[in-house]
Amino acid sequence: MAKKMTRRRFLKGAVIGGVALGTGLGGYRVTYGQAKKAAGPIKIGGQGAISGAHADYGWQMMAGSTLAMEEINARGGVLKRKLELKFMDEELKPATAVKNVRYLATEWGANFLFGVDSSGSAMAIGPVLPEVDRLHFFTHAATHRLTEELVAQKGIKQIFRMVAPVYQDALAAWVFKDTPEIKRWAGINCDYEYGYVAWNLFKENMKRFRPDVEFVAAAWAPFWTMDFSSHIAAVMAEKPDAIFSTPWAGEGVMLLRQALMLGVFDKIQAWWQGMGGSVDLLEGISREVAADKFKGKLWATARYIHNYPVTPENKAFVAAFRKRWGKFPNYSAEASYSAIYAIKAGVEKAKSLETAKVGAALEGVELKTPAGIRLIRKEDHQAIYTVPAGKVIQSPDYPLPVLGDLRIIPAKEYFRHPPFTPVAATK
Amino acid sequence: MLEKLLYQGLIGLSFSMYLWLLSAGLTLAFGVLGVLNFAHGSLFMLGAYASFTFYGKLGLNFWLSIGLSLASVGIVGAILEGLFFRRIYDLDLPYQLILTFGFILIFDDLVKMIWGGVAMIPPMPRFFEGNLIVFDRPFPIYNLFIIFAGLAVALILWLVLEKTWWGRMIRASATDREMAGAIGINIPTLFTTVFVFSAMLAAVGGALGTPVRVVAPGIGTAMIVQAFVITVIGGLGNLKGAFVGALIVGILTSFGILLFPVFELFIIFVVMAIVLLVRPEGLFGK
Repeated sequence: MAKKMTRRRFLKGAVIGGVALGTGLGGYRVTYGQAKKAAGPIKIGGQGAISGAHADYGWQMMAGSTLAMEEINARGGVLKRKLELKFMDEELKPATAVKNVRYLATEWGANFLFGVDSSGSAMAIGPVLPEVDRLHFFTHAATHRLTEELVAQKGIKQIFRMVAPVYQDALAAWVFKDTPEIKRWAGINCDYEYGYVAWNLFKENMKRFRPDVEFVAAAWAPFWTMDFSSHIAAVMAEKPDAIFSTPWAGEGVMLLRQALMLGVFDKIQAWWQGMGGSVDLLEGISREVAADKFKGKLWATARYIHNYPVTPENKAFVAAFRKRWGKFPNYSAEASYSAIYAIKAGVEKAKSLETAKVGAALEGVELKTPAGIRLIRKEDHQAIYTVPAGKVIQSPDYPLPVLGDLRIIPAKEYFRHPPFTPVAATK
Repeated sequence: MLEKLLYQGLIGLSFSMYLWLLSAGLTLAFGVLGVLNFAHGSLFMLGAYASFTFYGKLGLNFWLSIGLSLASVGIVGAILEGLFFRRIYDLDLPYQLILTFGFILIFDDLVKMIWGGVAMIPPMPRFFEGNLIVFDRPFPIYNLFIIFAGLAVALILWLVLEKTWWGRMIRASATDREMAGAIGINIPTLFTTVFVFSAMLAAVGGALGTPVRVVAPGIGTAMIVQAFVITVIGGLGNLKGAFVGALIVGILTSFGILLFPVFELFIIFVVMAIVLLVRPEGLFGK
């Protein structure tokens, strides 16, 4: 009995002591952290895919944000504090992305977060953000649900999206609505949310403009598809006039090259490659474009293209990016570059690093960025800016193919607006 | 409709042949050495990287590049078997899993260090460009070549295993290792050779794919799941089973994309589940 009492007492003591010690240490840590923060840099944590078939996108995020930070630091930083970057591999896995967010926010001590390629990862991160209480600037993940559901409906104010969402893919409906000879559309799409929503939004809008159009076939390709021949053969069996497709990065390149082998461009009138205006994809098909294998039938857009808009800001950005990295920037680079400047704008306006204050400062502002004026819409924290569509061409002004014959449709026309009605995110 | 199905079947057949090349080595290593090599996909990836380097980077002849990539992966295989796998033949399956899985991670990181994480795409050799008209539709010469290459490998494997002295030694050792050793077969050397052969089979698949596929870290892991489904359907360790399994998976996937695009992904898993229920040892397993 006595023994028991001793143990209980001991435990009690240990618990109290532990709590006291813990609080003490915690208190010390907080003070230490704050003291350090006042003098140290503003920490910005990013993540994206930096390995695998989509790896160029993460690299571009890193390159774009690094460039912005170097520029800002050279001019004295933000509120006289330098910016510091840590960038991690998201691996396109939601679990990894959430782990990275927790690590960056709590252990590394990031003040702000940005990046993320996969929509699945973005939707997994969203609900964690209020808990870690950090603003997260999404610079690629395109699902409409991130801003429509998580921000506008659920009120997760920590989410901001700098990049054009999946609305951009549906631009095809505006580009082809006045082409009466194209009546039969087929889709080769990603077998995950992005593909479903892009295809559904396109169909919905196209049907609105052109009730006579038919959607004759759809094939679905998951991440890591390397052989698209079966998908191409299956949709071509229905003799479509045009193809709408969403696989991106290396997968988009493989799809287009395999389509050429299967003689698709002899049979169809147009091929819409949603994110075909991205630099890595254009680079991947440059030999084929130079040899005019697509016969002027390949159309695309992106979430930013380096040859639009023709403004001093964009020219300066592209020149600085090429000088720093020896490459052209793609959209994840531009969005990450602009995200860093958005953080600067927000912090300077709020004169604070506090999440709620910076977030409120950014709502409804217009930012002058390389991609044009970005309006940060108050209701859903979505940046609104126009990106044109165009035909993939070889231009004497550039070493790589670019989008030419540009179709400029104002973003207000093809972006969705609150209050949002649901879009099917299923096949 | 019939022409549509036949054409789609032919496309599926060329896909099957990639799967066959990958599964052949996997099942051979299991059948003879008893090793379930999860890193087999990594050898496939190394084959792709090697042929990309020789052909796409150094500009060597396409066929020479394939030969050199086979040789390089063969050497990697010899090192793997001689230094590591040899030590786990007698251990339980979980040990094999841990070791071979470890090599997947090591190889993925190694290629990232050497070639970078970004996907690369080499040019298509001239002689593969163009297509033939089959069932009134263009069929790529390259896919036709893959079909012949797959069948040729199947024929060579059959001849080697069934008609040669070496093949008989392999079959004997697979059946009874101790007895084979007792009658004078040098088991360690034979096992190294078989493993090198299995690594080279993986490399052929990787190397032949380079002109139309991307080369990126992780491509091996992406393929290995299908290869496992194939070996389970065909019977682990059985080459005939791997061939038939690859045909089933490749052609069914292709038909699935045409006929049931919404459910296509799970069709092969349904087939696998049925096989496991009805014949757990696989179609050709003992």
